[in-house]
Amino acid sequence: MAKPKIASDWMCGCAGCHMSLLDMDERLALVAELADLRSTPITDLKEPDEGGVDVGVLEGGINNTANEEVAHKFRKRCKILVALGDCAVFGGVPAMRNFFDLQDSLRRAYVEAESVDESGHIPDDPELAQMTKVRAIQDVVKVDYFVPGCPPSADVIFYVLSELAQGRKPELKDDLIQWH
Amino acid sequence: MIQVTIDGKEYEVPENITVLQAARLAGVTIPTLCDHPELTPYGGCRLCLVEVEGARTLQPSCTLPVSPNMKIKTDNERIKEVRKFVLSLIFSERNHFCPYCQVSGGDCELQNSAYAQGMTHWPLSPNYTNFPVDASHKYIVLDNNRCILCRRCTRACSELVGNHTLGIEERGSNSMLTADFGVPLGESSCVSCGMCVTLCPTGALIDRWSAYKGHEDQAVKTKSVCTACSVGCGIEVLVRDNNVIRVDGDFEHPLNRGVVCEFGKFSPMVEDRERITSPMIRKDGKLVPVSWDEALKAAVDGLLANKASLGALVSSRLPVESLSAAKDLFTEVNAKFITTLEEGAATAALSAYAEENHNAFESKLEKLKAADFVLVFGDEILDDHQVAGFFIKRNLSRGTRMVVITHHDSKLKDRADVILASKAKSADVMAALAKGFENQQKIEEIAKAISASSESLAAAVKLLSAANWPVVVLGSDVSADLVREADHLMKKVNGSLISLKGGANSLAAAQLHLDGPITETAAVFAALGDERPSQRVVQKLEKAQFLVACASYASPVSARANVVFPVKNWAETEGHYLNLDGRLQSAQACVSAREGVLDTLEVIQALAKQFGVKLTGSWKKELTKRQAMVALEI
Repeated sequence: MAKPKIASDWMCGCAGCHMSLLDMDERLALVAELADLRSTPITDLKEPDEGGVDVGVLEGGINNTANEEVAHKFRKRCKILVALGDCAVFGGVPAMRNFFDLQDSLRRAYVEAESVDESGHIPDDPELAQMTKVRAIQDVVKVDYFVPGCPPSADVIFYVLSELAQGRKPELKDDLIQWH
Repeated sequence: MIQVTIDGKEYEVPENITVLQAARLAGVTIPTLCDHPELTPYGGCRLCLVEVEGARTLQPSCTLPVSPNMKIKTDNERIKEVRKFVLSLIFSERNHFCPYCQVSGGDCELQNSAYAQGMTHWPLSPNYTNFPVDASHKYIVLDNNRCILCRRCTRACSELVGNHTLGIEERGSNSMLTADFGVPLGESSCVSCGMCVTLCPTGALIDRWSAYKGHEDQAVKTKSVCTACSVGCGIEVLVRDNNVIRVDGDFEHPLNRGVVCEFGKFSPMVEDRERITSPMIRKDGKLVPVSWDEALKAAVDGLLANKASLGALVSSRLPVESLSAAKDLFTEVNAKFITTLEEGAATAALSAYAEENHNAFESKLEKLKAADFVLVFGDEILDDHQVAGFFIKRNLSRGTRMVVITHHDSKLKDRADVILASKAKSADVMAALAKGFENQQKIEEIAKAISASSESLAAAVKLLSAANWPVVVLGSDVSADLVREADHLMKKVNGSLISLKGGANSLAAAQLHLDGPITETAAVFAALGDERPSQRVVQKLEKAQFLVACASYASPVSARANVVFPVKNWAETEGHYLNLDGRLQSAQACVSAREGVLDTLEVIQALAKQFGVKLTGSWKKELTKRQAMVALEI
């Protein structure tokens, strides 16, 4: 049997979940033995194979039209979609923005922030993706497995990936559930 | 007892309890959020739903009474699904994002409930409605965005404390926790007891002095006794890395059952006095740090030089062990006075009356909790014996009537049924009540004699006559006449008398005869512990030519002392305390003192050695030698 293909990407998050993934240390070699790691933000291949992969892992919530595109692409090309981390599962820290007006948040960040000088302005390049409310992935596409945590520990990520790579269903309970 | 079946097993449980209480007795865990054992059931969160045979829908176990042969299921697929759904609804209402919440990671009952139900995500996304945050209070931050409307805080505020500050405004999903009639918490009628914070299951109410200092599972919990006043509440001190991160009331303590006040919970957290860390002696007019040996020698030399005119002061916040040792030492060297900083103000008249009549005429605080009529003399009870005040206030909405005798404008005026204002002596007012009780036709005449309004006296007498369990509470400034009249009145109406005794160990000090006045002496040994000396004490010590201070913190007394010894504070000291109703309790050391800081007892022992005085250490026997005003439980 061919090794299952795994792809990952990050969206509106801090990359911390992928850092936690790297914290698996020598177990990364084990995962690499069990599975065929395809596109990830930290490898050369930039998107999942057109022919599809078995497992897609997404970090981060969905905060603009570009994220929406990534989520849809993953859903289309991945048999199993995993939401990795609090932002992907709930919206996470970026979702704090939803409690404010979007323009107010942008002005605060790009114009009023203490580190900004008088040249500060809200980016308006037409090629930029359109910002939206921050959403959990499940609000845009169907998610098969939720792995909460900010970030999920390397142990949790290893458990989920090794179970999926071996064709089993990971079940998070007891000490494996940590939302923060 | 009745028979019920819980999860297929039969149990015998008392009648008149709820299904939840029955399950707890049976050792079966039912998840809850709005329930708290010290509060009346509310049935708000619906997490405790169970299946009852014959009932069409799931039933909230916290409000459902058990009935004979009831068959209850607490855990099956249907219940599990519903519990997850209930939690999903709660999470969807407000901002329950965990990564930026103080209680996340163990201290949040909402998060823990979700973990227990195996929730990996929120099936319903939040609706991102903004609610106000109120950070106006000196100790408490209220974030309505984290609130799940369980109303534990509002119930604690009214049922445990009787303050009725917290309430809910608006309706449905707009419901919001509010203080008084919508004022900021910091400007409200809040008395800062912190019970709302202690009982809040989420991060909606947080204590700004304990926040982010560590979770409960990172802290060592030590049960001890509060030394702020003579009530002697049980407390639980949370310590992390030898720092007190929080003080809570001890919910297992039979006296206060978790209730504490500002002085017990928050005051220790905002301690801002300068800590004394080294022995010091005065050289060329200035206090300079020296070794313990040098300081001890200086103290002994100075005290010996003035041995014809010595006095000793001890704080009633110190354990009996220290009080008794100080008494032994300074009796042996013929000190002119050995007393506490409050000079027996609250206890002397009571002790004298007890000795005169050879009986313990006072009752226990339990009587106050159950009283249906309370006659309060001196509304200081609200300021310095707050938890005793809570015992009264929380019963007022359940029908307990309160009469306040006062010379001035009373803080209790909005809560009292009758304010008996009179310029006459308190004892005369008390006597007038007794006379009025016996001779209700002559109220007008009796009222006139104490220049009080006859309507108030008549109303007070009427309430007293109707009472089944009347209690009189004496605050400070108690005269011999007042004690006698109060005792007579309560004997007449078959009621109880309770007096507030001042400091944590004032009763022990009274039992050891450490209750006389401070007189003028050439040298004074002042064991202040962590007490703040009053202006009166500071003035009385001004005349002493040689002053030795044992103190945890700098004060006007330590500033003018000739020798200063650094001693342990409340959290570092262990020892025994005799509370106002004669309960002997032991306080535990919760943190270790820094090197070079000794226990007051050790300082007294070192001095005794230098003086060649042998200390007996038999304080337990000493406590019972004098007739006490209240039955001692030693």
